[in-house]
Amino acid sequence: MSSPSPGRTLVFKILRHNPQDPTSEPHVARFELEEYEGMTLFIALNEIRERFAPDLQFDFVCRAGICGSCGMVINGRPGLACRTLTSTLAPEITLAPLPVFKLIADLSVDTGEWMRGMSERLETWIHEQTPVDLHAVEERMEPELAEAIYELDRCIECGCCIAACGTARMREDFVGAVGLNKIARFRLDPRDARDDGDFYDLIGDDDGVFGCMSLLGCHDICPKELPLQTQIAFLRRKMVRVS
Amino acid sequence: MKRNLLPARLDLAQSVTGLVLAVFMAFHLVFDSSILLGANAFRFVSGALEGELIFGQKIPLITTLFAGVIFAIFIAHAGLAMRKFPQNAAQYRAFRSHMKEMRHGDTSLWWLQIWTGFAMFFLASVHLYIMMTQPDTIGPAGSSYRIVFEWKWPLYLLLTIAVVLHAAVGLYRLALKWGWFEGKDPNRRRKTLKKAVWIVSAVYLAMSLAALGAFVHIGLTGQDHFGNQVEVVPR
Amino acid sequence: MKIVYTDVLVIGGGLAGLRTAVGVKQRGFDTIVLSLVPAKRSHSAAAQGGMQASLGHSAMGAGDNEDVHFEDTVKGSDWGADQRVARMFTHVAPKAIRELAGWGVPWNRVSQGEREAVINAERVVITESAKAHGLITARDFGGTRKWRTCYTSDGTGHAMLFALGDQSIAHGIPVMERMEALALIHEGGRCYGAVVRNLVTGELSAFLARATTIATGGYGRIYKVSTNAVICEGTGTAIALETGVAELGNMEAVQFHPTAIVPAGILTTEGCRGDGGILRDVKGHRFMPDYEREKRELASRDVVSRRMTEHMRKGLAVQSPYGDHLWLDITVLGREHVHKNLREVTDICRYFLGMDPAEDWIPVRPTQHYSMGGIRTDHRGESTTLKGLFACGEAACWDMHGFNRLGGNSVAETVVAGMIVSEFIADFCAGSESDINLSTGLVREFVEREQAGLDGLLNSSNGESASAIRSRMEEIMIEQVGIFRTGSELESAVEELEQLLERSRRLSVRNRVPGANPELVAAYRLPKMLKLALCAALGARQRTESRGAHYREDFPQRNDRDWLNRSITTWPSAEATLPRLDYESIEVGDMELPPGFRGYGTRDHIDHPHSDQRHRQIEQILKAVDPNDRYARQAALMPFEHLLPEKYRPRSQRLEIKT
Ligand SMILES: Cc1cc2nc3c(=O)[nH]c(=O)nc-3n(C[C@H](O)[C@H](O)[C@H](O)COP(=O)(O)OP(=O)(O)OC[C@H]3O[C@@H](n4cnc5c(N)ncnc54)[C@H](O)[C@@H]3O)c2cc1C
Ligand code: HEM
Ligand code: HEM
Ligand code: SF4
Ligand code: F3S
Ligand code: FES
Repeated sequence: MSSPSPGRTLVFKILRHNPQDPTSEPHVARFELEEYEGMTLFIALNEIRERFAPDLQFDFVCRAGICGSCGMVINGRPGLACRTLTSTLAPEITLAPLPVFKLIADLSVDTGEWMRGMSERLETWIHEQTPVDLHAVEERMEPELAEAIYELDRCIECGCCIAACGTARMREDFVGAVGLNKIARFRLDPRDARDDGDFYDLIGDDDGVFGCMSLLGCHDICPKELPLQTQIAFLRRKMVRVS
Repeated sequence: MKRNLLPARLDLAQSVTGLVLAVFMAFHLVFDSSILLGANAFRFVSGALEGELIFGQKIPLITTLFAGVIFAIFIAHAGLAMRKFPQNAAQYRAFRSHMKEMRHGDTSLWWLQIWTGFAMFFLASVHLYIMMTQPDTIGPAGSSYRIVFEWKWPLYLLLTIAVVLHAAVGLYRLALKWGWFEGKDPNRRRKTLKKAVWIVSAVYLAMSLAALGAFVHIGLTGQDHFGNQVEVVPR
Repeated sequence: MKIVYTDVLVIGGGLAGLRTAVGVKQRGFDTIVLSLVPAKRSHSAAAQGGMQASLGHSAMGAGDNEDVHFEDTVKGSDWGADQRVARMFTHVAPKAIRELAGWGVPWNRVSQGEREAVINAERVVITESAKAHGLITARDFGGTRKWRTCYTSDGTGHAMLFALGDQSIAHGIPVMERMEALALIHEGGRCYGAVVRNLVTGELSAFLARATTIATGGYGRIYKVSTNAVICEGTGTAIALETGVAELGNMEAVQFHPTAIVPAGILTTEGCRGDGGILRDVKGHRFMPDYEREKRELASRDVVSRRMTEHMRKGLAVQSPYGDHLWLDITVLGREHVHKNLREVTDICRYFLGMDPAEDWIPVRPTQHYSMGGIRTDHRGESTTLKGLFACGEAACWDMHGFNRLGGNSVAETVVAGMIVSEFIADFCAGSESDINLSTGLVREFVEREQAGLDGLLNSSNGESASAIRSRMEEIMIEQVGIFRTGSELESAVEELEQLLERSRRLSVRNRVPGANPELVAAYRLPKMLKLALCAALGARQRTESRGAHYREDFPQRNDRDWLNRSITTWPSAEATLPRLDYESIEVGDMELPPGFRGYGTRDHIDHPHSDQRHRQIEQILKAVDPNDRYARQAALMPFEHLLPEKYRPRSQRLEIKT
């Protein structure tokens, strides 16, 4: 278990703003809590809401680092709040909503709409050759290939890579690492009938793979530790080969 | 639908021009630093590059032409790379605040590249223009004169720092961008590459700045640090 | 008042909801999915271990088929399941796996040749057949005779949900996020849609549809510690209950998972034990074999959870500031296996406990995990009493899990039910039965009633605080309606919950904005949750036997004579403080597998009077049928194929793998 740090008083500085409310101005609100062992930002935020700010907005679903709901900027860096133990942070903690995505209120942003848009644009689904025969034995696949696909399939669409990407922050149409990783994932999948030309049509421009400036914030911050650097590089080589 | 292959080609061109420039610079700065081995060494190197060994005499036109080619590549690279610059104040601010918050190495390095690139746009243009128009002045005496009495040393000082950092980081980024040298453990390899960036930069900076010092020394004293006399007068 | 019309309204964007939506869309009907959160964040994403389907391609699954899966499921349910539904389910499960494979789920595959595995804490070598190389493989899970649980590492639910999420996008199905169904619109025993609240703006609107489907998952969050996501509050089930018409089934059947970490309550998958992990007590002693000689750690969940609790009560627990716990030891599996095949577990341990499970033991204890109970439906997924209302997934009591579901059978249920039920919904929509003749006045009435309720909360002052009542409810549930139950505790639980429900009718909130307002949300959900808690507690109090996950210390035997039935609860009126409880009997005479010994502990149950008779009858029937034709034998005992939609009737092929 993580080591207890008895008696710390944590100071939370939370960027607050509710665009729904015409009187709301963005401001930093300050809260203090006594820390205890095993405290995560999930626990801390709930306690703050319970005790000080009943209107504080944030999103948690699985609270286990699995669903990707709770991405926020923690001390300047995007991360999953639910699995961040306060003991890993200095006693002064700043929290802000993920940038790029539409702000719902306080720490809650609309990643869902963004991700859906990305999915529609990049057609992130298997384009089947022929529909599967449900009653027949399934197509074979090399075990290593299945594992390699899963490795890329692990993305939870948390949006941290977008918030961590300087390119995405400058150019709103950039598909970001999450989108590029999806293409890498479907490209690897033999069940998808699309070829590199088709993928080029989706990401072969400066909003796609050629917009990436190899800043690697995505790679370093991805909570699922996806191999984003190598995947983007790989795609770039493949897409250049198309031309 | 007709596929637009331009973005792919532009991206490739940006990298190729960057790579060519970086490789050129790797040699350039070594040749330039031959001054550290004395005026004669520099005279020999610059002469050799101007065709003395082949034609028996210096042909400045070679330099002019070569500098012209480099200038063209340089402009092409700058033009391609400038597409990536922040396009307006909002983008500029967005990136800056992002970088400040993130405190993330590779993101900050990109900012460094933007600024060094931007600076070189002016500094290197001046230098290249001189090299194209006055190739015959190159030599221990002419160069020293230019550096000291024509007040080029501040320009070179800045240009040296800019070009070394820009090229080293550029090469690092190039490797990541195209997935070169990934090896078995790309994360480890990236750390190694980054270390290499700093080592190469330090070595090149030390060497080139020492060379600049040597030129200044010659300009001020009329002899290189081995004591060989150099007549530093305007031609 | 905004009214949205569609053919099929699907409330819930988890596996069950999405598969249903895709199904009706494929049949040409319009559909809208509502979800509290982006669909891919639904709780289904958290399923780690896997999905059961009897492919039988792995060496340890050789010889598996629908019959074995059926038998395991029924035994797992402690004979509470509807056996026809269990048959439909096991028949379609292989097809569901294959459909998902086609949609991109990267199921782990059989790799031919020898490999090491850990079984019963010993390293053994398994030889996979070359014939099966590259086909979908399976791992071991509790309560199954064969290795049947198909998986993608330990992110099965995630991979499935993303494949389905992407399919729903491919089909252009609108998924409206941050939308909460507050009430069903119904009249004369017919459901017409729902009143829906936008969680961002607070706006109410009416969604009207030919068919309404509830796929809102479980209600684990009525318990203090639960492995469930924080949105698993059962409101979908509750709005069905609140119609006063729809019935809920088996609400007292609540599963506890043996291995959630302490204190966070986050699950470590059953795959840990399936892959060979073992349980240890304070002395480091492996205790499960002392209780369950044969199945050990892999007895079914209810059994393992009870044995753990029993062991802890003997003073053999590890004491910690967060209460007692035991150890889950997966160090025996080796570093490589742990870090590669149990990666989510590794991550969870790393982030929430600051330890590496390949090196140290994981602190675990049984924790609320799954809701067997839910909206009672027939085999078509339609409410038994409210026409036009369908339900599937964890929110439903379709009833294939009875009183205990097997690990891996739940995500399987969600997609299989989605496949089957969507066909029936489409059939329903195709007929004139589904026509909507409804006055907008009625719709307005429903919307206004909800609006008045919300306004009331926002305008009242000096009322009770929802969070205090809620935490008391959670405590009552875990302490008195938990793993071990007694009549007296249940009695007091019901009584206190009833008081809490009354108090919850006088709530007020501090934060008075009508839009995004977490406090308001908590307040209006509370009475709904309390009603579900009451259904569970009352059901448990009345059921004076032990069956599956429902264990009465004062009535430790399973009693088929008096209790071979399903608890049915309805909510009599808005003013009522207690549900109405009825029972639906489960007919022994129709069973393919009449009640018998479940295979755990000692053989100890009270027989149903018709049980023997049915056993004899079965022997008789089977004599007349070719012993080598398993399909014929099955058909002779309990025909079910006619209950399935036509397209799912053909048999599933599998390679027969010899060991
Ligand atoms: C930690 C964990 C691990 C598990 N592992 C396994 C496993 O390995 N194998 C297995 O078979 N099972 C497993 N299960 C069980 C299984 O994951 C669930 O039973 C199953 O995923 C439920 O799916 P569902 O579609 O019914 O509901 P959910 O996935 O819970 O989806 C419910 C949906 O309803 C929406 N919703 C809820 N209320 C409302 C409302 N009022 N209005 C609008 N929308 C609403 C939600 O937003 C959500 O989209 C696990 C469960 C847990 C807790
Ligand atoms: C073909 C083209 C080029 C030629 C012939 C050339 C030649 C020279 C020469 C002769 C010198 C010695 C000083 C002098 O005589 O003024 C010099 C110095 C220098 N050049 Fe170039 N150059 C070329 C292109 C470039 C380019 C493209 C850059 C960078 C963008 C560059 C950067 C420098 C720097 C930084 C120094 C100073 C080195 C030091 O500090 O010692 N040169 N160059
Ligand atoms: C006007 C002068 C220059 C400008 C404005 C400029 C600008 C840039 C910029 C902005 C980048 C980053 C591009 C990206 O992120 O995609 C870049 C990359 C690079 N630059 Fe320059 N640069 C200049 C001169 C040079 C010179 C003289 C060299 C060589 C010494 C050089 C070598 C490189 C290399 C190797 C890269 C990496 C290429 C890539 O990322 O594709 N640049 N440059
Ligand atoms: S790639 Fe990583 S950081 Fe980006 S959305 Fe997926 S999981 Fe999150
Ligand atoms: S941070 Fe952005 S620029 Fe590329 S490498 Fe990652 S997408
Ligand atoms: S709440 Fe699911 S990842 Fe944090």
